[in-house]
Amino acid sequence: MTFDLISNLALGLAVALTLKNLWLCFLGCLIGTLIGVLPGVGPIATITMLLPITFGIDPVGALIMLAGIYYGAQYGGSTTAILVNIPGEATSVVTTLDGHQMAKQGRAGVALGIAAIGSFIAGCVATVIIAALAAPLTAMALLFGPADYFALMVLGLMFAVVLARGSVPKAIAIILVGILLSTVGTDLESGEERLTFGWSEISDGLDVAVLAMGLFGFAEILRNLEVTQARDVVRAAIGNLLPNRQDFAQSAAPIARGTLIGAILGLLPGNGAVLGPFASYTIEKKLADDPSRFGRGAIEGVAGPESANNAGAQTAFIPLLALGIPPNAVMALMVGAMTIHGIVPGPQIMTKQPNLFWGMITSMWIGNLMLLVINLPLIGLWVRFLKVPYRLMFPAIILLCCIGIYSINNSPVEVLMTAGFGLFGYAVVKFGFEPAPMLLGFVLGRLMEEKLRQALVISRGSFMTFVDRPLSAGLLLLSLITIVLAVLPAIRKGREEVFQEAD
Amino acid sequence: MSQAPHRGPSRRSAIDIAGGLFLLVIAAVGYIGGFSLPVGHLSGIGSGLLPKTLAVLVAAFGILLILQGLIGPGPALERWAIRGPFFVLGAVVLFAVTIRWGGLIIAGPLAVVMSALASDETRPTEIAIFAVALTLLSGLMFKELLNLPIPFDPLGLIPSFVAQAYIAAKAALAGLFTALKGAVTS
Repeated sequence: MTFDLISNLALGLAVALTLKNLWLCFLGCLIGTLIGVLPGVGPIATITMLLPITFGIDPVGALIMLAGIYYGAQYGGSTTAILVNIPGEATSVVTTLDGHQMAKQGRAGVALGIAAIGSFIAGCVATVIIAALAAPLTAMALLFGPADYFALMVLGLMFAVVLARGSVPKAIAIILVGILLSTVGTDLESGEERLTFGWSEISDGLDVAVLAMGLFGFAEILRNLEVTQARDVVRAAIGNLLPNRQDFAQSAAPIARGTLIGAILGLLPGNGAVLGPFASYTIEKKLADDPSRFGRGAIEGVAGPESANNAGAQTAFIPLLALGIPPNAVMALMVGAMTIHGIVPGPQIMTKQPNLFWGMITSMWIGNLMLLVINLPLIGLWVRFLKVPYRLMFPAIILLCCIGIYSINNSPVEVLMTAGFGLFGYAVVKFGFEPAPMLLGFVLGRLMEEKLRQALVISRGSFMTFVDRPLSAGLLLLSLITIVLAVLPAIRKGREEVFQEAD
Repeated sequence: MSQAPHRGPSRRSAIDIAGGLFLLVIAAVGYIGGFSLPVGHLSGIGSGLLPKTLAVLVAAFGILLILQGLIGPGPALERWAIRGPFFVLGAVVLFAVTIRWGGLIIAGPLAVVMSALASDETRPTEIAIFAVALTLLSGLMFKELLNLPIPFDPLGLIPSFVAQAYIAAKAALAGLFTALKGAVTS
């Protein structure tokens, strides 16, 4: 087992350390950060926008680059959170609390530095966890029948309901809408066109990138234009990048705890990773000798959540790689990206394409190292970048989005559809729904229908198969408990409090 | 849709009622779109079962939300902006319509300028220069560096001497590069 682990990692290193793949990893991290620091552009929009640049590359290289873009975008989001007080996505909300305060006190450099160092440590640990867990989980995946897969995805969606903000009925409803959208296109079994209204352009189904770009790229810009945010770019000096000895002493334990929390939560289906930073922040605040320091620039409040964030971002790959089930919206997009390169995520990757699997995993670690090495010296550049006024930034984002979407299939119609989904996403948000669970429902929808049909064919039409099989029965029971707990008043209050902290 | 901003919580929750109606519309579209599809039976699910079931469920949640909104207090509907969506999404549509025919050299500046109209802070000269620079830069990046098959100038708007000068410069640069490489390796 240990030997396997080492030999696998060695294989991965051999793939990831080729000059070409190192270069792609570097490029991915750099461009990912570049786009990710743009305020209001989260990892989802970043990946969609940059997807076409990986097209000319072989699958291994492309995935390594995409993974680099993903960390880059994550890290870029933290940079924006600290320097401008605008979180790029839900997981960096917590970083704004203390990170931006530190920046205002002239300690932006230290905040960015500890975020990078914490993320790096978390990344190292998470890489080892992935490598260690991947084989047993993949073996377990082989025990999964269609009914169990179906039940697991139900559980994932229930987690997504619990983790969504706002009311539970709204979260369930928007997930159902996502699944409904996934049925658009040709039915794989009967070949009948569904919900296409005779429109041949969508007979292959809606593209996840098109949906994601509309919901997260354009709708986000529309919302940013409405709130004339006082963009509070830090005027104070960035200061020293390297934390001093006292900073390290204060951050060591939070980094360790954050890594652990984030790594565990990231494994959960249904976007558990989003909880990591919140949980870490709450714990650090509880454990601190002087909790009142939090919210006023406590370094633990940056170190812990940032480590949790990165650990979760990475372990979130496990459900995708081992089971083929994307746990959150970003991973859903990775599925789309993999499909474009002809890779079907799932347990078979590890056995059939070990160099791709282990190459990608080790490149995650290398990517984290690169973020540390390239981004810290480049912070001055990011700061200057952030000072570009929004009036210039958003037209540029729109042009890049258009080029990105057009290039995926060279289709102007898909660009038009993105505009449609932009409007749809705007409406969704205005009516108080959250778009991220919808995207997850959309991606899981197709898989769920497939597994549901398979399960019922095997059981000759008896729904009892879901209860008879212990695995699926257990997972469904867990889903039921999850959703019941979510509507219980006491838990609901706690959930609101967790999110309140963010507002 | 045109309400006074910052309305406090009222006895009814407009956002829930509107959200519920929104769900009903989606459900209706889904149900109509899947109307003619066979539902099948449990051991052989038809293509229509899932869309119809989902549409009914979405509708049920829509009704639930409407009832909830009628009974309980809650936030009012947020104000909808017209200008932002019109110009931003209009810019995207404009890009989609012109890209095949006119290439990036037409679609790019159009999209940038049109979307810029969404903001009050836009300055005419600044955005004009920015649009041209951005178009050229993205052409260089996507067309030259990444070799994506996005049309750049299908109408031949760039004067031929400029294009020739560019090609010559590129060739010269490549020549210089190989010469340098040769000098270094030998």
